[in-house]
This record gives sequence, C-alpha cells and structure tokens, in this order.
Amino acid sequence: MRLPWSRRDRPRRAPPPVEPLTASALTWLLAALALAVAPQATELSVWLSVLFAALVGWRGFIVFRNRALPPRWLLLLVATLAGAGVMIDHRTLFGRDAGVALLTAMTACKLLESRGLRDGVVLVFLGYLLVMSNLLYSQDIPLVTYLLAVILVMLTAQVLIHRQHAGLTALAPLRLTGRMVLLAIPVMLILFVLFPRIPGPLWGLPKDAYKGRTGLSEQMAPGSVSELIRSDAVAFRVRFADAVPPSNQRYWRGPVLWHFDGRRWTRPEEPPVKTPIPFTPEGAAVDYAVVLEPSNRNWLFALDLPARLPPRAGMTPSFQLLRDQPVNEVYRYEMRSYPAYRTAEPTAMERSRGLQLPPRANPRARALVAEWRQRDPQPEALVRSALTLFREQPFYYTLNPPELGGEIVDDFLFRTRRGFCEHYASAFVFLMRAGGVPARVVLGYQGGEMNALGGYLMVRQSDAHAWAEVWLEGRGWVRVDPTGAVAPNRVQQGLYAALSDSRLLPFLARHGGDSEWLRQLALGWDILNNSWNEWVLAYGPERQKEFLSGLGFGPADWTGMTVAMLIALGGFGVLYAGWRWRSRLARDPVARAWQRFCARLARRGLARGAAEGPLDFAGRVAAGRPELAAGVWEIARLYAALRYGPVAPPEQVRQLRQLTRRFRA
Amino acid sequence: MVATLEDRLDQAVQQVGTTILGKERAIRLAVSCLLARGHLLIEDLPGMGKTTLAHALACCLGLQYQRIQFTSDLLPADILGAAVYERQRETFVFHPGPIFAQLILADEINRATPKTQSALLEAMEEGQVTIEGETRKLPEPFFVIATQNPAYQIGTFPLPESQLDRFLMRIELGYPDAQAERLLLEGEDRRDVLARLPVCLTPEQLREAQARVAGVHAAPPLLDYVQGLLAFSRQSSLFRGGLSPRAGLALLRAARAWALLHRRGHVLPEDVQAVLPAVVGHRLYPGEEHLEQTSADLVGRLRAAVTLPA
Amino acid sequence: MRGQRPSAEPIRLTRRRIYILPTGQGYAFATLLFLLFLWSINYSNSMGFAFTFLLAAVALNSMWQAHDNLLGLIVDSSGAEPVFAGQEARFAFRVENPDPRPRYGIALQWRDQPPRHTDLPASGAAVVTLTVLAERRGWLRTGRVRVLTRYPLGLLQAWSWVEFERACLVYPQPRGRRPLPAALSGGAGAGLGDQGFGSEDYAGFRLYAPGDSPRRIAWKAATRGGPLLVKQFTDQVRPELWLDWRLLGIDSVEPRLAQLCQWVLKAEGEGRRYGLLLPGARIAPGRGDAHRRRCLEALALFTYAEDVSHRHETAVEPEGPTKTRAAAG
Repeated sequence: MRLPWSRRDRPRRAPPPVEPLTASALTWLLAALALAVAPQATELSVWLSVLFAALVGWRGFIVFRNRALPPRWLLLLVATLAGAGVMIDHRTLFGRDAGVALLTAMTACKLLESRGLRDGVVLVFLGYLLVMSNLLYSQDIPLVTYLLAVILVMLTAQVLIHRQHAGLTALAPLRLTGRMVLLAIPVMLILFVLFPRIPGPLWGLPKDAYKGRTGLSEQMAPGSVSELIRSDAVAFRVRFADAVPPSNQRYWRGPVLWHFDGRRWTRPEEPPVKTPIPFTPEGAAVDYAVVLEPSNRNWLFALDLPARLPPRAGMTPSFQLLRDQPVNEVYRYEMRSYPAYRTAEPTAMERSRGLQLPPRANPRARALVAEWRQRDPQPEALVRSALTLFREQPFYYTLNPPELGGEIVDDFLFRTRRGFCEHYASAFVFLMRAGGVPARVVLGYQGGEMNALGGYLMVRQSDAHAWAEVWLEGRGWVRVDPTGAVAPNRVQQGLYAALSDSRLLPFLARHGGDSEWLRQLALGWDILNNSWNEWVLAYGPERQKEFLSGLGFGPADWTGMTVAMLIALGGFGVLYAGWRWRSRLARDPVARAWQRFCARLARRGLARGAAEGPLDFAGRVAAGRPELAAGVWEIARLYAALRYGPVAPPEQVRQLRQLTRRFRA
Repeated sequence: MVATLEDRLDQAVQQVGTTILGKERAIRLAVSCLLARGHLLIEDLPGMGKTTLAHALACCLGLQYQRIQFTSDLLPADILGAAVYERQRETFVFHPGPIFAQLILADEINRATPKTQSALLEAMEEGQVTIEGETRKLPEPFFVIATQNPAYQIGTFPLPESQLDRFLMRIELGYPDAQAERLLLEGEDRRDVLARLPVCLTPEQLREAQARVAGVHAAPPLLDYVQGLLAFSRQSSLFRGGLSPRAGLALLRAARAWALLHRRGHVLPEDVQAVLPAVVGHRLYPGEEHLEQTSADLVGRLRAAVTLPA
Repeated sequence: MRGQRPSAEPIRLTRRRIYILPTGQGYAFATLLFLLFLWSINYSNSMGFAFTFLLAAVALNSMWQAHDNLLGLIVDSSGAEPVFAGQEARFAFRVENPDPRPRYGIALQWRDQPPRHTDLPASGAAVVTLTVLAERRGWLRTGRVRVLTRYPLGLLQAWSWVEFERACLVYPQPRGRRPLPAALSGGAGAGLGDQGFGSEDYAGFRLYAPGDSPRRIAWKAATRGGPLLVKQFTDQVRPELWLDWRLLGIDSVEPRLAQLCQWVLKAEGEGRRYGLLLPGARIAPGRGDAHRRRCLEALALFTYAEDVSHRHETAVEPEGPTKTRAAAG
C-alpha cells in the first residue's frame, strides 16, 4: 500500500490549468472568422486577404494534424510585418480602412497564438468587431442577412470554446444558438424601435470613414458629372404626396456654383440660415418625402424651389439645403417645393458673384457675346441667342466628349462642340456673365424613374445633371437648361432617350429591349430596398420621434421612450415567462390540471413531494387542512383514475379541469 | 347480496387481522404476494407470529396447509417425497412429501443445507417436482411462506443472493404496537381464534383473483415511473448493481396485486411505492461507499430520488 | 444559502436557490457591447444598433438558459472514503437531471478550487468528485458546495449552494519513527515477527480441532495413517501486539496518535494481530480490514480529556499489557 502523505505529494494550489480549445470549437471559430472577413476580401489589400486566408488555413492545419503552434518570435515578426504593411498601404494606422485592415491582420495573428479559453474569448470578441466593421461599407439586405448568419456561427463558436460544453456535438450547438437568436429578435426589435437614439457623431470621424461613396462633387469641371453617369446606384428615392410632377419640372437642386477659375466651377462659402429663404410661390405646392442614400455630404436634395427645412438643416441664400452633419446613414426627410416661383432681388454680393469671370479668358466667346449685345442688349435676348446657338449649330450631346484644352469655353464653343451637361451649363453661364447677366451653375439631379409597383420615384446617380440659373429683372432667378436645347429628350424622357451611344449607360438606366423583364425584377428588388431604407436604415433620432408621436404617444421625449422601452421589454419578458411556464406544463390536459392544482396548493405551503403520488398527497393535505379534504380527495381520485386508468373519458377530463380551476386553497 | 371477489378478499384480510393484531400492512402484503403468484420470505425473530400468519392465511383462503420445519439434517426427499418400494405390490410407490400442499410454511429455511434449500426453491420456481425421472405437478395455487431468523446465524446457511431473488417479497413483521400488544394479552389463545376462522374464498375464487391480477391496467406514465426506479438503481453509486429486469417484472406484478386488493382496476404510483420495500429490499445491495446503509435506507433513498411527474 | 442546514436528503435546486451574476467574460462582453453601441451612434449606423441590440438580447436570453440549466437538478452527496490526514478526501456527489433534455456544463466547486464539470444526459445522472485536503483528523465536512453552470455562452454564471451532512472520516496522519513495540507473549513468535514473514508462510503443524478449515488439513500426512494435522502459518503463531497510548508518554496528543496510526498500518502490513489501547477505548487484538478500520476510527475520533483519561486508564489496566507498559503520560 502506498500512502501519499509525504510532503512532496501534497497538492499545491496551482493556477487553474489552461483549458485547451477543442478541435470542434476551433473549427467553428475559424469558420466564423473567415465568414466575417469574406465580404471585405475585395476591399482589403490583396496581400492582407491572402495573409488572413493563409493564417486561418495554417491554424486549421495545426488543429487537424495535431501540430505545435508557431514560436512566439515568428508570430511577433508576422504581426510587425502585417502592421507595417497596413501602414504602407494606408499611411496611417487609424481611420476606417486602416483600422479594419489592422483588425483583420491582428485577428489572424491572434489565431496562431490561441491555445485556451481566454484566447478563444478574445477571438470571438474580435470576430464581433469584424462583423460590425462590414457595416461601415454597406448595410443592404443581402449583406445584413449574411452577417446575421455569421453572428449565428460566431455564437456557436462562443458556446463551444467553453470546454465544459464540449458535450454538445454536431448540430446541437447551432440549434441552441439558433433558438437563442430567434428569441433575441423580439427584444432586439423593441430596443431598436424604442431605445432613445442620440444623434451622432460623438467624436470626430476618421477622414476616410465614408470614402468611396459615389455622388455629386462640390465642384464642376469638364467630365466631372459624366463620371457619375456610369453608376446606376440610387441617389435617393422620393414618394410624392399627390401627383408626380412631369419630368421636365423635376430638377433636384444640389450645390450652387458661383466661382469660375477658367476651368473649374466651385462653390463659395455660403453660410446656411435656419429659416427657409423667402420667395414668392406662383402655383400649387408639391409635397414629398425623400429617402437619401448615404453620400458623406451634408447636401439634401429638393425640387426647385424648397420652401421648408428638415430638422437639423439649414438653407443657403442660393436655396441649397444643408444638414448639420454629413449624411452617412440612410436619411429620410419631408419637403415642400413650389415648381413655379419668383425670387427676390439679388443682393449686391450676389450680383457681383453672379458676374465674376476670370479676366481675359476665352476671348472668342466674349467677342460673340459682344456681338449679340449689339443686336439686342436685353438679358432675355442674350439667353435666347445662346440657346439658339446650341440648338442650331452642330452641337452634340455625348457621354464621350473629346478633351478640351486651353481656353475651355472657346474650345468647346468653337471647336469640339461635343459635350455633356456640364459643358453646356459651363459655357452658357460664361456667355451670360460675359454679357453682364448674373448667372450661376446648379448641380443636382434631373428627372428620375418612377417605380410603378412601389409608387415612388428613384433618382439614380446616372440622373446627375448640371444646369444654369440667370437673373432676369422682375422674375428673379430663372432656371435655364442649355442641355435641353441640345437634347430635349434628356429633360423630358431621361438620359437613355437622349443618348445615341447608350451602351455606356449602366444597365438599369437602359429601357426596353430583351432584358426588360430583368429590369422589372430589379425594380421589384428596389421596392424592397426602398422599404428597408425608409423604415429600417433611415430610422434615426428624428424618424424615431416622428414614428412614436405618430403612434399616438404624444411628443416622444427621452424619458417617455425609456419608459415605453422598459414597459415593452417587461411585457415581452412576461409573455416569454408565461410561454415557458406553459411549455413546462405537461401537454396532457389531465397532467396540466393536476400541475395547476399542485401549484396552487404549493403556494399555500402544501407542496407535493417530488415522489408523492396523488392519493398520498391528498391524504397529507386532508390531514393538515381538514376543511379542504373533500375537494382535494375528489380531485386526487379523479386525477388518479384518469391518469393511470385505462381510459380517460373527455367529460371526466373536463370535470377535472373544472374542479381544479374552481379549487381555492 | 352476492359478495364480490374484492369483498371476499377484504374479508380475508380482515379475518387474518383478527389473529395477527395490528399487522394489517404485512397481511395485505402477504395476500398481494399470494395473488401475484409469488412466494413470501418473512425475516424476523421467533415469536412474532410468522406461523400464525401462515396458518391464518391458509384457513381464510381455504388452502391446504403444510408446515415444514427446516433443520440441518433435513434432506430434499423429506420435502419432496420419495418412491418407496412396497413389498405387497412389488413396485415403487411415490409417497408425496409435505410440499404437495397449497400453502407451505418453510420455517427457518436457513437451517437446512443449501442442497435441501435449493430443492424447495426449484419446486417453487417451476411449480413442479421431478423425482426419479418423473415430473409431478404441484397443486394450484401453490404458495410458499419461508421464514428466516436474521439474528441467529451460527450454523446456518443464509440464502444466497441468487436464491433470495426467487421470493417475490421479503417482509418483516416486527413488534406489535402497544395497543395491539394489549389486545393480544387480553384476548384469548390464538389457536382458538385460528380454529374459528371462516373460509372466505374457495380455491377457485382465489385462482380467479390471481387471474385478474394480470388484467390490472398499468398506464404508460406508471410504466415510466417503474422504469425510472429501475434506471436509478442501475445508475446510482448507492447500489452495487441495479435491479434486474426480473425485479422490474416482480415489482409491477406485486403492485398490480396490491392495486387489486385495494379495489382498483389500475396501478397507481402509490401501489408501486407500497410494495417497493418488500419487493426490492432483498434485491438491492449497498454500493462500496455505502456499506453502512440498511436495506430500508436504500429503498427509502430510491423512493425519494425518483420523481413522479404529474 | 445562509441559514440553510446541511441536508441528509437529496437537494432539489429550486428557483429560490439559484443566483445569477455575470462572469469576467460577461463584463468584458458588456464593455464590448457598450463600445459597439457608441460606435453605432458615432457612425449613425442603423444595423450597428440592430446587431448590438441583438447581441445584448442574446446575452439576456442566456440568463434564462443558465437558470434553466440548474433548475430542477437533484444533488445528493454520496460521502467519501476515509483518508489519512494530509491526503485528499474525495467527496462524491451525484447530480441527477430529472428532465427529458440533456444538460451541459454543470459543475461543482468547493471553495475556490477549479470547478469540476460534467454533462448530464436526458433523465440521467452523473457523479462528480471533489477533492478536499484533509488537514486534520476527525470528521471532515465539505461545508457549502457550489453547483454552477456557465452554459451556454460563458457570460453569466448561475449557481446554487448545497450542503450535506455526510462527512469524511479522517484518520490521523501516520507518522513516527518508533519501531513496533515488543510483543506481549514473547517466545518463538517474537523473533519471527521481526523478520517480516508474509501471512501465508508455512510454520508447522498442529493437531486438528473441530472448526478448522478443511483446506488447511494436511491430507498427505493423513493418508499415511497419522492423526489429522493442520498446517499452521506464521500469522497464526505470532503473538499479539498491543499498541498502547501509554508507550508514547513523552509526546503530546497528536504526535502520539500519529505514531499509533503508523503502528496500526505497519502491524497490519506485517500481518500481525494487534490491539489498540487508548484512554477511554480498548480494541481487542485482531486483524484484517474491518479491525484496522475500527482502530483507525478510534484514533480519528479520539478526544483527550485529562480527567476522563485517568479514570479510564486505571479501568483498562488489568486487561492491558502490563509487562511492556511504559510510564503513563
């Protein structure tokens, strides 16, 4: 016999041993991480995607071939190189792209030193960050659905990294997390709708936070708009309260450009004011709601001319709507515009800005205007002359204009004569200014396509447009679209009709043809996206307030929402508890009646023993509470006969249920 | 009014109760055992009324009664009988032993040698005896009440575990309570009481009652419960080895008989629990870490541990 | 649970006995969620909110899961085998799952030792053994034992306290350098005793007496016509040995018990018959596991009271081995 009482054998209090990650846990974890990174694979630098895939593969190899983890120095080396790589790629370690790249790289390195539970937890947490980082790039339905699935896999990995749950095998953990997610969805919805939203951002965003969003730019140079035409991404969607205005009235006003440096039109600093700029409407108002896609600009688009302001927005003197913060979420706002209007006198500054020209540029154009003025110095006559020029001389509307060199207005007017809207707008405004008529360039969108199924208008990036406004005595700022003189179809029917080389257009902007049904399908899909945008993505602080006051809660404030949220959560909790209680109750009505009866007695301190049969229990209750004896015996006898007897006649089952329901202890 | 079978059984229990005072539970267990076609082992000190119980049962149920006092020199032939050569007829004539009776009291069974014991136990098991190649059926009903004295072990051959299993129930009578004891002291001689006992059941009626035991309904939830008991006995470290399938059958059969005796056409968990100590007490042995537990403790823990769903 | 008495019965974990708190991981997860929430505000990211809330709701739901995982379990103590002081007592607990669904990651934990985990099959049970260092002789109880689970995500720990009456007997630590005391009846056996014979060593014959095992009869000798002889073995000729408390007069109580304990083991190991003399207790000489256990139990539970011991010492004196007696302590 060996008795281990010698000092040496005494158990020493050792730190708890590392619980190594099981192969199944690592498999799930690797899968979840790979799935989380996959949507970004194209965004990341190639070397990083390859590195991540390689390290995941290596870790998998280690698990399945039972190899040792790489030495620490190697890991450090890889991590340092990866960090340096990110630094070289992005010139910084901060900011969105660099941050995501760094997160990806470090997760991959962490994989190779993951031994135990703690590492597993860190990896799962990194995994959640990776999942969320995808949302910086897109929040559309397919991606969100996909990420939900990734979360499910990640949760499964989180269950399995705990060695003590290793008894869960095959699909059991997935079923478990699936059930948990299903149950979590109602709570998520309550929180999503009612959790008081705070308008962001809380701190400065990295400069590249929303890089890569297509949209109008702040300035206009030859080619800057036609660039956009190639994208069929939706810029915004509009739902009109009443009739939809005709296409040639649908000018969606964006930035107004005043300053011309000979090549490029730019926007001066125009501080917005918090009240709409007054003008005189001439005709009926148009009411509509716009759901704007993220653009990383603070511009809000409105029909000419906007007469109200969305919350947290202002208007520049040139009628451009500007929001406090750049629009980086889907943003919905309601607007009212008057298509017919008359504006007030320009201020002295507006007048001088409206006549600014680079000195001595484009002499041939100036000479042409001087000639027109000699014929008729009226501003209206100048406008007519310019439009006649475009209409009657061989000017072409094309997406592929030749390069302009030197004095670009002269070159365009007298040599190439092929251009897109920006060429025409630019040349027209130049001519007007040279003739002493205040004029400016307006950027925005024109037209848009009705989604008949969804009853809303889609305005795509390919609808981007540039037009001019001139100031005419007695009428104020008047919109003149010189492109319309060259290609009237552009304004009336859209770009597709106006262009002869429509192959350059994005697929969805083409009409008719063999793939019309596909286009219809795409329109259906757009309806889904629109609802998604309008109701889910655009659900921010303003929409939340609107929605809740719309539900009849009165003006919703922070405390009200919190209370409503807590009530809803409590209500759901009660529902869930009730459901759990019901499901714990036996399915069999006899057993359920008996459980109810026992529960009722248990509340009076007469709990049935775990192994106590019905008659024993009744005997005990009857002995302790003689006044209950008759009722208890009746129920117990009936229950015993129904539960353990050969038949349970329905009328007796009903009787038992009645008895137990009426029973009062 | 015609007395039903249940009435007659009740009457029998009551009548036996007049001779063995204050032991109704033991009497009911004994009758259940008989109804379930099992055999009964009574383990108790002498003078507790084992013999009286057996005798009274035989009287009330109208059974032919034989008592065999087991001693160390008892031979199998003394129980089973033997073929004896008869000179006049010049042939062997079988002289049946005392086992050819309907109710046998095998008194102090542990005093006989294992050989003799197994002769009895085999007869019990098979309901027939084979002597010199000739098989003879035992009478119907056939019921053995064996007694064993737990305190007096020297020079005895306690029944091995495997043989204990052949008894459907093992019970103890125990001392009577004060009231019963007083009645016993005041009352008349037990033998006189025995002599006056009425016959409550004919052997046919008894056979009918035995036949009806098998028809007592055992509902699925009850079978779940019985399986729960068996499963627990097999998993728990409280026990060295669990209950055998045979023990499960015995438990259900005894519970059915108990239910019938209590005028029920179906088995309740209470019936199972009522017969549980008697049926499984001698079939469970404490596990290595629980050697100090008595069989009553073990059964108690088994009963408490298996929950009874609603 | 404070105020709850140690139980002799199996304990069923009811709603009222179960507590839940976040684990370290849980707090880390909460911090992560908070960061994700701030991040969502900062980027006005709707789906960021949605996913953050979803994860929070899942964590909330895991609270129910953890609670359910413990609810209704039936825990019972199966006690522990006796051990010597300085060894680890192994307390066995039986955890039963009465429900028709399996349960995972159930653990028992004693004080701050690492928890012992087990999975329970549907309507099944498992035994979890906790080791507790037995520091001193006597009855060792575990006190409160924590039944816990971190299922399913490890973010929350649900736990319940159980405490059982069953205790482990701890024998004194066998320690001491003294040799076994000399045997009482001297003679040939005394010399043999020191040579450490095994119990099956043949030592000679003696005449048959009724009651001797037939296996020990020297049948070969009997066939030669002599009287029936019985083989004798060393253990049977060894003299009785008295392990006497008073032989160790100079030491204090615990070292004396340690020495006695060591003697008991040594004597048993050598296959000798030995008796034990303690103030207030006398165990007649014997051999075998049951005897050894009795002796060790007496040593384990010995309480020394000055006044009582004197009286008892004189009482046992006539039976005691006076020849080898040393000065009484």
